[in-house]
Amino acid sequence: MTPTAPIFEIQRFSLHDGPGIRSLVFLKGCALHCPWCQNPESQASDPVVAFYRDRCKESFCCEEVCQDSAISRTGFRIDYERCSGCGDCVAACAYDALRRIGEVHTPELLMQKLLADRAYYQQSGGGVTFSGGEPLLHPLFLDRVLDLCARESIHTNLETSGTSSFERHEALLRKFDLIYFDLKILDPELHREHLGGGYDIIVHNAAWLAEGKYPVEFRLPLIPGYTDTEANIEHVIERLGRLGMNAIHLLAYHNMGETKIDIIQGKQPKLGLPRYSEELFEKTQRHFEERGIEVLNRH
Amino acid sequence: MDAKQRVLWRPSPRVQQLYEDHSKSSPAVGAERAIHYTDFYKQEAQGYGSASLLNAHCLAHHLSHRTIQIHPGELVVGSHTEHRIGAICHVERAGVAMLEDILSFEKRAVNPLRIRSEDKWKLVRSVIPYWLKRNLSARAFPLREQVGYLREQLGSAHFVINEAGGVAHFLPDYGELVRIGTEGIRRKLEKRWAGEDTNEEQREQLEANHVCVAALEHFADRYRAEAERLGRDDLVAVLRNVPRKPAANLHEALQLIWFFQLVIQIESIDQGISLGRIDQYLYELFCREKEQAGFDADHVRDLFAAFCIKLSEVIPLFSSRSTEYFAGLPNGQALTLGGVDGSGRDATNELSFLLLDVLEGFKTRQPNWHARISKSTDPAFAHRVVEVIAGGGGSPALYNDDVIMPAMARRGVDPAKVWNYATVGCVEPALSCESFTSSDAAIFNLAIGLEMLLGGGQRMQGTASRLRPWLDEIGCMDDLLHQLEEQTQGRLEKLKQALDAIETANADHFPTPFSSLTIGGCIESATDSTRGGAFFNASGIQAVGVADLANSLAVIQTLVFDTKQYTLEEIANACADDFDGQDLLHARARKITGFGNDNALVDELAGAVASLFDRCVSRYTNTRGGRWMPGYYSMTCHQGFGKKMAALPSGRLAGRPLADGLAPVDGTDLLGPTASLNSVASLDHEAFGNGINVNIKFDAQTVADAAGKASLEALVLGYFSQGGMQLQVNVLDPAVLEDAMRNPDEHRNLLVRISGYCAYFVDLTPSMQQELIDRTRQRTQ
Repeated sequence: MTPTAPIFEIQRFSLHDGPGIRSLVFLKGCALHCPWCQNPESQASDPVVAFYRDRCKESFCCEEVCQDSAISRTGFRIDYERCSGCGDCVAACAYDALRRIGEVHTPELLMQKLLADRAYYQQSGGGVTFSGGEPLLHPLFLDRVLDLCARESIHTNLETSGTSSFERHEALLRKFDLIYFDLKILDPELHREHLGGGYDIIVHNAAWLAEGKYPVEFRLPLIPGYTDTEANIEHVIERLGRLGMNAIHLLAYHNMGETKIDIIQGKQPKLGLPRYSEELFEKTQRHFEERGIEVLNRH
Repeated sequence: MDAKQRVLWRPSPRVQQLYEDHSKSSPAVGAERAIHYTDFYKQEAQGYGSASLLNAHCLAHHLSHRTIQIHPGELVVGSHTEHRIGAICHVERAGVAMLEDILSFEKRAVNPLRIRSEDKWKLVRSVIPYWLKRNLSARAFPLREQVGYLREQLGSAHFVINEAGGVAHFLPDYGELVRIGTEGIRRKLEKRWAGEDTNEEQREQLEANHVCVAALEHFADRYRAEAERLGRDDLVAVLRNVPRKPAANLHEALQLIWFFQLVIQIESIDQGISLGRIDQYLYELFCREKEQAGFDADHVRDLFAAFCIKLSEVIPLFSSRSTEYFAGLPNGQALTLGGVDGSGRDATNELSFLLLDVLEGFKTRQPNWHARISKSTDPAFAHRVVEVIAGGGGSPALYNDDVIMPAMARRGVDPAKVWNYATVGCVEPALSCESFTSSDAAIFNLAIGLEMLLGGGQRMQGTASRLRPWLDEIGCMDDLLHQLEEQTQGRLEKLKQALDAIETANADHFPTPFSSLTIGGCIESATDSTRGGAFFNASGIQAVGVADLANSLAVIQTLVFDTKQYTLEEIANACADDFDGQDLLHARARKITGFGNDNALVDELAGAVASLFDRCVSRYTNTRGGRWMPGYYSMTCHQGFGKKMAALPSGRLAGRPLADGLAPVDGTDLLGPTASLNSVASLDHEAFGNGINVNIKFDAQTVADAAGKASLEALVLGYFSQGGMQLQVNVLDPAVLEDAMRNPDEHRNLLVRISGYCAYFVDLTPSMQQELIDRTRQRTQ
């Protein structure tokens, strides 16, 4: 059977997720539930219909086509208890107030979409970056897509949180041209407090990639008070040293993800943090650089 | 080329001072030419055997009487008008119509022009009355038709005939002129005169040509005398040779080119007189100079910078109503860099790079800089071009040889010669040295055809909901396209009649014997360029609104033919009512994927619309024996036309602008620049013989670093590799644009690229300014 995966966005002409001009494929589903998650709508694996209240003109065309009786005229528009996620209402809505997040793709359908920008990948030395969610939750699908990319000589990059067993995915991981591995909170206690489980496997996977000479680069999202504390940065520097790495990507926090919590009636509490400032970023960057760690690029 | 350690080149203090003085003078209406022409015509109109002779002597009269001025520090001399920056009123052509602003030139909000009060009254009392019945449109049409024609031309919904101002738009053979000087032209004329098969008309033409040569020489002598009077030995040395002798160095060459450029733009309308492949035809002189002791590359850059200042002294005369269609004072003196040679190899050279330094370090309104790129282009050149673009100002615009050369061959240009094309005016490719393509003959509103079709042959604005039985016959897209083609053909037929009348009147009454000296074929055939003397002739007709039509057809396909949610009549009535009370239909229409999203359905509709226009246009030939060719650029006619139109099925509301050139409708290409350019490149660009404009905007932040510039370069080359013909990139900072709207005086020199030409942002109409800001913001988000 052809493996499929739910993809909630393909962002073209992406310039900051690997070399050159890239298409960024966001796969749905994630094991972690980081409180600062910038794509909260990506966490659940199943497709979900999102509701954008500010666009709704209350024409209730959705109600006419809904076969699940899941449209509610008051409060949040969709009753997720009843909604089967079929998407009929999305097609019926003229105002783009409803959107299905997580369209199921076969590898071939995804490939067809990605090939549209092949000329630009070639000219720029770019390619495709798989992000999420956690892409490795869809190994069979990825494996097939990577083979198709290899056939077309398209550069591939994985962005991973490192929460699944990498040994098990060895063959798959060998197929990527580049792996971005996200470090977060490197104090086991604090990790458990904010992110739940997964600390041990993340640390293990990081070491396993480095030892296995995979083309890996590490990244650190800068979340004020969570990952950018003096102590955590020291942890990260120490960890990089142990892994024999001397460079890192820093990702500045922006709070745009919080507005997306409401569209799926998410339960994730809002941190209310401001966007990461230039000054803070530079301070953190200096911290790394003073300790001999190169900051690879700014996002 | 030392790409790595480059520091931004700046002109010498002398040239910077020159530019400062230039920028301080405010543009004015130059009335001298109109007054001289009127005086001469009043006294002499009956005294010459042919229109060519009359016009040659009239030009000579003007040149020997016009004010001459040499400004302190100038390296190249000769002024477009009696003012430092001025607009000529070509009163015998469209000048009278443009003088509808005569009482408001100084006070008008956009592009105010000074005018001396004595000039104003002379124009009102003696010039305008004389030409009212004798100007080009009066000669072309009987009185009753003329009124309707003028009304349509000044506030046009269907088409604008640019030839109403004269033909212009060609590439003088500057390579040859620099090599032979006027003495060489005289030899050519004499040789032709001695030829056996010359009839009376041809002899008169050659005589007129001869009068023009003498007039230019005399005019230049007056400048030499003035330089002597001022003790300007450097200029005297140059003017001792120029224009008679072959140019001995680059300074002489630029002075010679400017004299010709100047007089050509005095003789006929100052539109699209283009400089061609200047890095090619001046390369030999450059190399010769380089071998000499004391060669200073910065001095060469200075010379070109001073030359650019002269080009920027030319301001076109537009009335306020015309400005809606041609905002930003375009006059299209295009200059082409790069490209290939006769063997298909890369032709970029040291001079190409040096000229890019000038453009990068010294941004002026003119010339209109263009760079030719092909698969064989030196990557360093493409790289440098993108670097210059990233610095802002929108220049140079980019042209794809690999598409343009076959496109020209398809239109009957000798395939062995297409390598030597250059751009004319805004975006139009033409064969160097020997073609007269009237590439900007007319701009045609293609989109309004759908409004007329839905309206049963009537415009829809203000009409209330009604029965529209004529729509019953349309059951599928093929029916609709068929009717649209008939509609388009019918309106082009009207354009053809008007254009022929204008061309004939122009050739009969206002031939251009001076310009004809510079176009291959005119001396050889002893025939004026306006009468088909050039070796290659054509007319370029531009379509506006391809994307609007494609989007509208996609809406009709989906809502009427596929889902049958609406009838075509309901859609038409909603358009007539500007979607008033039809919010749901309007939202549904806007939701349907538009051109610019890599969507096969709507991209194919755009292709169908573009080829429909091609078929209709290509049926015609002009009065000079050249074929009509389709182009797809809009100047700012997308705003001018849009203002006159009712809503379209795409959801575009009444009065809103149409899409700019061949680009997607603003705000409807939702998947970023690669998808947008893929849609554009999905069309068959080799069919677009007269050129296109595709304008994309980047926020300055995106291309600030090396990686950003590399991505921009890859985007351009990726688009070209898929068959894109042309691209121009504006690198803008929306915050700066907004500040320029509020404080225009602090941003006098902020250049932006409009449809195929550069303009100072502050010279644009407010609506055009807003359009630019909105588009840049949209790209940023």
